[in-house]
Amino acid sequence: MPRSESDIAIVGYAISPMLRRTDQTETMMMLPVVAGAIKSAGLTKDDIGFTVSGSCDYLSGQAFSFVSNVDAYGAWPPINESHVEMDGSFALYEAFVRLLQGDIDTAVAAGVGKNSNSDPSTLYTIEMDPYYLTPLGADPWSLHALQYRALLDSGKATERDVAELVARNRASAKENIHAQVSGDYDVDELLAADYIRTPLRRHDLPPITDGCAAVVLARGQKAYELCERPAWITGIDHRIEPHLPTLRDLTTSVSTTRAAKGAGLAAGPVEVAELHAPFSYQELILAESLGLGADTQINPSGGALAANPVMATGLIRMIEAAKQIIENGKRRTLAHTTSGPCLQQNLVAILEGDE
Amino acid sequence: MSHQPVAVVGIGQTHHKKRRGDVSIAGLVREAASRALEDANMDWGDIDAVVLGKAPDLFEGVMKPEMFLADALGANGKPMFRVHTAGSVGGSTGIVGSHLVGAGRHKRVLSVAFEKQSEGNAQFALGGGKGGSIGAGGAFAPFIRAYIRRSGAPEDVGWKVAVKDRQNGAKNPYAHLKLADITIDKVRESPMMWDPLHFLESCPSSDGACAVVFTDEDGGKAASKPPAWVLATAMKSEPSTFAGRDPVSPLGAHMCSAEIYKQVGITNPREQIDCAELYVPFSWYEPMWLEAHDIAAPGDGWRMTADGDTELTGSFPVNMSGGVLSSNPIGASGLLRFAEAALQVRGQAGDHQVPDAKLALAQAYGANAQFFAMWAVGSSLDPLG
Amino acid sequence: MADVVRESVFRLQFPFQRTLGPTIGAFASALAEQTLIGVKVGDRVITPPLEYDPENGADAGTDFVRVGPKGTVTTWTWVPEPTHLHPLAHPFAFAFVLLDGADTPMFHAVNVGSVDDMRIGMRVEPRWRAEREGRIDDLEAFVPATDDGPSDGAGEPWVAPAELSVDHMEMDCDLTYVDNSAPATLIWMQALLDGKLLGQTCPACGRTYVGPRGLCCVDAIELDETHLVEVPDRGVVTNFTIITPTPYPGQTETEPFVRCSILLEGTDAVLNQQTVLEIPASEVRVGLHVECVWAPPEERNVDDVGNRGWGVGGDCMRGWRPTGQPDEPAENYVERMM
Repeated sequence: MPRSESDIAIVGYAISPMLRRTDQTETMMMLPVVAGAIKSAGLTKDDIGFTVSGSCDYLSGQAFSFVSNVDAYGAWPPINESHVEMDGSFALYEAFVRLLQGDIDTAVAAGVGKNSNSDPSTLYTIEMDPYYLTPLGADPWSLHALQYRALLDSGKATERDVAELVARNRASAKENIHAQVSGDYDVDELLAADYIRTPLRRHDLPPITDGCAAVVLARGQKAYELCERPAWITGIDHRIEPHLPTLRDLTTSVSTTRAAKGAGLAAGPVEVAELHAPFSYQELILAESLGLGADTQINPSGGALAANPVMATGLIRMIEAAKQIIENGKRRTLAHTTSGPCLQQNLVAILEGDE
Repeated sequence: MSHQPVAVVGIGQTHHKKRRGDVSIAGLVREAASRALEDANMDWGDIDAVVLGKAPDLFEGVMKPEMFLADALGANGKPMFRVHTAGSVGGSTGIVGSHLVGAGRHKRVLSVAFEKQSEGNAQFALGGGKGGSIGAGGAFAPFIRAYIRRSGAPEDVGWKVAVKDRQNGAKNPYAHLKLADITIDKVRESPMMWDPLHFLESCPSSDGACAVVFTDEDGGKAASKPPAWVLATAMKSEPSTFAGRDPVSPLGAHMCSAEIYKQVGITNPREQIDCAELYVPFSWYEPMWLEAHDIAAPGDGWRMTADGDTELTGSFPVNMSGGVLSSNPIGASGLLRFAEAALQVRGQAGDHQVPDAKLALAQAYGANAQFFAMWAVGSSLDPLG
Repeated sequence: MADVVRESVFRLQFPFQRTLGPTIGAFASALAEQTLIGVKVGDRVITPPLEYDPENGADAGTDFVRVGPKGTVTTWTWVPEPTHLHPLAHPFAFAFVLLDGADTPMFHAVNVGSVDDMRIGMRVEPRWRAEREGRIDDLEAFVPATDDGPSDGAGEPWVAPAELSVDHMEMDCDLTYVDNSAPATLIWMQALLDGKLLGQTCPACGRTYVGPRGLCCVDAIELDETHLVEVPDRGVVTNFTIITPTPYPGQTETEPFVRCSILLEGTDAVLNQQTVLEIPASEVRVGLHVECVWAPPEERNVDDVGNRGWGVGGDCMRGWRPTGQPDEPAENYVERMM
């Protein structure tokens, strides 16, 4: 299919090492990654039309923590720039929309999180409803355990199904140089582990990861100049649901289904889907909500169970899905990002390579 | 390719106060959003996507509050987006919302920005949760001292801005501070907070929210009230500190307005723009921005203030709404500037209306005077034509 | 002598004051009277009540009804090791409890002896705290119901008093962060302990950054040990402000204090937010020659030097004192703020 000047593709990317604990700041994590992504597209910083990143003040406990991250761009002379308090995949979304304004043809989107400074089991209590959930210390482990149990009670999955999924993701991650957790695991041994919140076991949680990722987007003909086989973003959409998990059917993800519809998933099969499922069992809910069949390979990278640099994990799904096209010759792939408690918000992108 | 025309068809804001003790955070944002929807003659269901902006989450102590505010803003089943670009965030929230329509992604978008400063303490948050916070005033005071020396401006220029903006604020039913009886003497005699800035030259700390509804060209033409057309948008950033950076008249500020002028076809901003809402949290930023945005020649910004040109009845009114000096719900302050510019060209600004305003400029800035967001709005798509 | 600090623990604490508005305020006021309420939205009773219909954003109104106090556990999980943020200090369950008369469950704690006592469908009732302030944790936890009967009064209208007894709540934020010092920060710490100032000079643009940042923000290149330079601990005040401290939780200052920028002698590097010693604040001026006053080596520490705020002197640099040299012309320096 010939591409038009309003078509946008991923043409370059870079991912930092995925570490349990880096000795670098967010800014210093970003510098080589942003530079690396730009270089991978054969560009220099002065060629970039728009730069946007996603990060979170509360990961570092500092107001305006993203301000110093501008230092990683070499933003002099001043640049067109923005920031979202969301995963880097939403930064990519803003870049995508910015490119559609038509006055520029390249953009950088990045995501960064130094997650090792804080304790997720306490930190994320303040992401919940401040009147009804935060005062109870409603933590992500507990809320996600409740979602997991709802899934089990629905009869759609068993704990063994989920343990097998964990083993499969960790085995897949052996081939992923950006994996923090990988290896061969015995399902029975996984099932023998203690619950940290019934029915959630420690291996059902994502690792705590410091990391960063960045992509270069290009519009129209420019994409062919920068990349032999661009990963065209033929559809991208995101949707949100009511916040309180008590108001939702936790065994399904209607926002994922809607985002997939908006992204045009139905137009054809996808060969690979990179799903952002930080809690193991969520992959099953997402796969069903997306209607993915056995012909779609899910998370060959190992997904968020292999590395979870919050604020970049979703963008890494985007990169992994793009790599399948740029490097592995795949035709059509899917990338997904989630945010909020119990899959509250979901983004779906469809990437395609040329015939 | 080029983007499609975008119209502002609905504007709403809260009554801004030191403490809006009568509302929750959800109630605060809904008050602004409901007014914007009513102004646009729309209902929650008419909105296709929501963009939320606010300054640091540490101000209210809720991480990524767009998550718990999603259903409060009618976003169930819709896209919800969160912008955070420091003090310029309100402007960015408007720009991102307008781009969603301009790019053809959505037909009707609601941008909402808020801050409920009374829940926490900005000095605490800006000080990283430690003692000895210098606050925003402490960060900007040296820049202001440098401007005064560079321009040779008399010391009463800052006081005049403080008086003028509060007099304008007294005409704005939504403003936090209504100091109709403010005088130069009162400003001069108010306590020195961040030398050379007096207390009355500084912005208040406010609870408040602002909301704007965007539609496409068809929606703008069909609107029941006159729309404001978004003629140009720009965002520029530069690093906070390095040798050779000019924080008094930042290059990013010049580039941001230059891009706006180019898009609109403005060759003489002083003459062609009818009025401007500039982010002036401390009095001296009025002349500083007039120069940094090339509305006045270098060293001449203060003369516009001193001569009364920037008064509501002057030749180049600035901060008709009363500005940040009258209301400062930080995250919303940028969108309030953008919204007031739109109100002006819609002829809906009430007692602070500039007669026959056709082309208005709005600006917000943030962090170490290093993030800039700007737009120009017009009463038609070709107000200079 | 103290050593560099490789990891620092920071506790972010703040007592946030939340105002509640008409709906959460009604819920809170009812709580204080040991009553649970929901709000009627369309044909559903939503508990706890919201100001809006979560489906579509429409105003929910204030058609409140009593719910519970008894309810049924619809799902649960077990918390074997509670954190300091949880409502109970011993192992307990978090559950969705569908209160009698409500159509949506409420998230809360259930206090039972062991995980074996929990099951879906179990009937529970609230246990209230003796001291109630109108916050959801006034309800300390649900406990197994003492009888199998229905709740009295569930579904009956609850009319909010004209003036709500509770209109705000306090919420302590208490988070702990453990930051580790970046390589450039460690270099700066060691220099401070040694009583000298170090910077990094960018090989591309020649700018010197004091203290070391590990990067040049103009050229976006990394700087390391090979880019280090020692710079003089003398300079000229280029700009300053006198700050009148405002009170806030954690504020340590009570009297006006000076913060100034100092251009280091023979360099293009500026240290910001420095303290001037030996003269009153009113005598600090642009063009003033100053030199660093170092703490005695045995008193130096870098506990407060983190990855942010380049040029923070910890308890090594006490501040800067006038050298007595004649002032430089202010106009040559006032703009050198960075």
